[in-house]
Amino acid sequence: MTSTGPHIDNFKQSFREEAREILVDLESSLLELNEHSNNLELVGRVFRALHTLKGSGAMFGFDELATFTHNLETAFDEVRNGRLAITSKLIDLTLAALDQIRAMLDEDSGNTGADRAVCAEILQKARQLIGISTGNPASSKTAPPPAAPDATSSAACDWKICFAPGPDLMLNGANPLLLLRELKEMGDLRIQAIMAAVPPIGELSPERCYVSWEMILTTPAGREAIRDVFIFVEDSCELTIEPASRPVPASVTSNAGAPAHALDEPRSASGGRRTYDKADNALSLRVPAAKLDQFVDLVGELVTVQARLSEIAARHDHPEVSAVSEEIERLTSALRENSMNIRMMPIRATFEKFRRLVHDLARDLDKNVELTIDGADTELDKTVIDKLSDPLMHLIRNSMDHGIEPTDIRQAAGKHPTATIRLSARHAGANVLIEVSDDGGGINKEAVRNRAIERGMIAVDVSLSDSEIFALIFQPGFSTASRVTDVSGRGVGMDVVRQSVESLRGTIDVASQSGEGTSVTLRLPLTLAIIDGLLVSVADAYFVLPLANTLECIELTREDLEKTNGKHVVEVRGEVIPYIRLREHFNIWSEPPAIEQIMVAETGEGRYGFVVDQVLGDHQTVIKNLGRLYRHVQVVSGATILGNGSVALILDPERLVHEALRGGLPGVRGHPRPTKLSRRRKGNLPGSAARNLVGAGTSTSANQ
Amino acid sequence: MPVILEERDALSVICLDGVIDISDAEELKRLLLQALKLKDGVRVSLQGAADLDITAMQLLWAAERETVKLGAPFTLAGVVPKEISAAISSAGFDNFPTNQKIVSKSVR
Repeated sequence: MTSTGPHIDNFKQSFREEAREILVDLESSLLELNEHSNNLELVGRVFRALHTLKGSGAMFGFDELATFTHNLETAFDEVRNGRLAITSKLIDLTLAALDQIRAMLDEDSGNTGADRAVCAEILQKARQLIGISTGNPASSKTAPPPAAPDATSSAACDWKICFAPGPDLMLNGANPLLLLRELKEMGDLRIQAIMAAVPPIGELSPERCYVSWEMILTTPAGREAIRDVFIFVEDSCELTIEPASRPVPASVTSNAGAPAHALDEPRSASGGRRTYDKADNALSLRVPAAKLDQFVDLVGELVTVQARLSEIAARHDHPEVSAVSEEIERLTSALRENSMNIRMMPIRATFEKFRRLVHDLARDLDKNVELTIDGADTELDKTVIDKLSDPLMHLIRNSMDHGIEPTDIRQAAGKHPTATIRLSARHAGANVLIEVSDDGGGINKEAVRNRAIERGMIAVDVSLSDSEIFALIFQPGFSTASRVTDVSGRGVGMDVVRQSVESLRGTIDVASQSGEGTSVTLRLPLTLAIIDGLLVSVADAYFVLPLANTLECIELTREDLEKTNGKHVVEVRGEVIPYIRLREHFNIWSEPPAIEQIMVAETGEGRYGFVVDQVLGDHQTVIKNLGRLYRHVQVVSGATILGNGSVALILDPERLVHEALRGGLPGVRGHPRPTKLSRRRKGNLPGSAARNLVGAGTSTSANQ
Repeated sequence: MPVILEERDALSVICLDGVIDISDAEELKRLLLQALKLKDGVRVSLQGAADLDITAMQLLWAAERETVKLGAPFTLAGVVPKEISAAISSAGFDNFPTNQKIVSKSVR
């Protein structure tokens, strides 16, 4: 088939996406193989992945990619057959080839594409490796070669192969003739097309494959090698591969005019038979991310409209309308939950690609480093995952370059010569904690402090806690490195980490022990699109507090205020909890009610209260960006449109607390200061802007 | 167009040209059905074909079966290129219409 068939662009795009996934798996398998060179399962996995890339690539018109991959596939076939050993040279060569394959895949997207000179060099080296293996089996062997997986002797055997393509195999871009030709290359192939299923031409669907084949293949290759030919169609065909139990009459050849069913035998239901009816039984399907985003946006709109309906139903108090409204509310909630789940992806692919980074950096920096991954199946919103790659890369580079000591220093310190970087993910309520830790030398607090003083970031006599010192490393341009290397030292990486994490409404926590290592924990929200919030009001302004942060609601009376002498603290079951009055913070000048409400929330700085006039209830909050105008307003993470058409600001409790602490929150940490929250600070929402937004009604300035 | 209907010596011949694949299958089926309706037999020229895929092979095979049922001839006009013979052979079509079945009237 040529690459000009129907829907070929769609097929090509699907192939690119699948190929990129295959490359990620391939890379991790190769790096694992580097550690466990005798693992036959890994060898098989690498071979099959290369085979799939080659076969599918050829099928979809990526001829250069297919040819390029063919030599690597041959090399790993030699490994499978015990004729070539796994060496770091072979692994590095294959990794370099994967980079070029990746570039070939990106060529049509307007990227530079593969470097032909590098490709030629890789091909030459691959051919040399294959040549060495066939010419002199003893050479290049650094590890005992694994035995061939099929444990077949080199003597040729007869295999009976029954291959029935699924009805849509050709529509999906596969070409059975290519598979038959590939089989023919493996040995002596006698083949019979079975035409029994071909309907009368008038009823025949022209793009469907009705033909099946029965074949006898005489080859030294084993069952798995034969199965590998069908590797990228095996889910959409019926395939049996069995040793031919009796001699096959010579008459059974393609051109010998044999009876139509000369190879027929009752088909056993045993081993190797596959169902091909994937169209009905497919367990997953690939959907473009843009379509999914559109779907989630529409669900967001539905949630907003549903809120309006609920409000109208409540106002009219009509039993039938109320019943319908409640039903729609229930369905909308379920739909929202489901649409959010669809966006959830395991973080595995993002984590796995750092194996390569660690491998390459370890080689460049001449350090022994092992990457361990935990919690790779932890799921996060796709949008969050997409933005995580950069910060994690910078954290790992920083750890490799500055955190982990050279091998001789580690040994002198009594540490294992191989350092460990641990990448882990786990759920914590509505957040995910991503941790990058190492067992290196830890952060030199004194060096950080001195550097900050040198740069005028802190005063010489200021007293800082450990966490405040560690926070300095995330400041723009901050670096304690005495030299700039290819890896790090410009003070850019950690600033990127901070910015990326902040853009995801996350927080960073650093822990470090001198001589023992450093751990950086990113706390990120599960999703960025819709959250469960608590709707509160102050005068005529509405705010949403993320429900995941809120713990309880308590009353604040005039008597309570008098008791604390103006300090913004309240005692809850023996615990003193500082609070922030949103009325003051947002310059909402109106008389507070006699009894206010304190929403107690858990933040990175501990428990804090947020004082509001009324708690209106929980609220499915579709997050709308505030747009560029309010990009410096840190305490508000977005806005949402309420059922009555007015706008509620979504507050970020963490940032509210940070901001209040920076500005001097009365009663907090023993620094009671009368607050003048009416003054404008960078990052604080100007009162007029807050009023504009919260009082804007339907003419919101919030962007979608 | 890789699949066309030509008038040759007052006879209609379906000519396959270049690489014939799934994208041509619909058109090939249409022309074969059109030829079958004439009850005058089906004439196909593979002379200009460079490759046939399974969809084309099964359509030609089905058309031949239909013509036999109707008692009409299925003929191949002209020479079948070696590549096409090889493709048919490697697909295991042992009873595919070949040049041997050409009857004289198809090339007159």
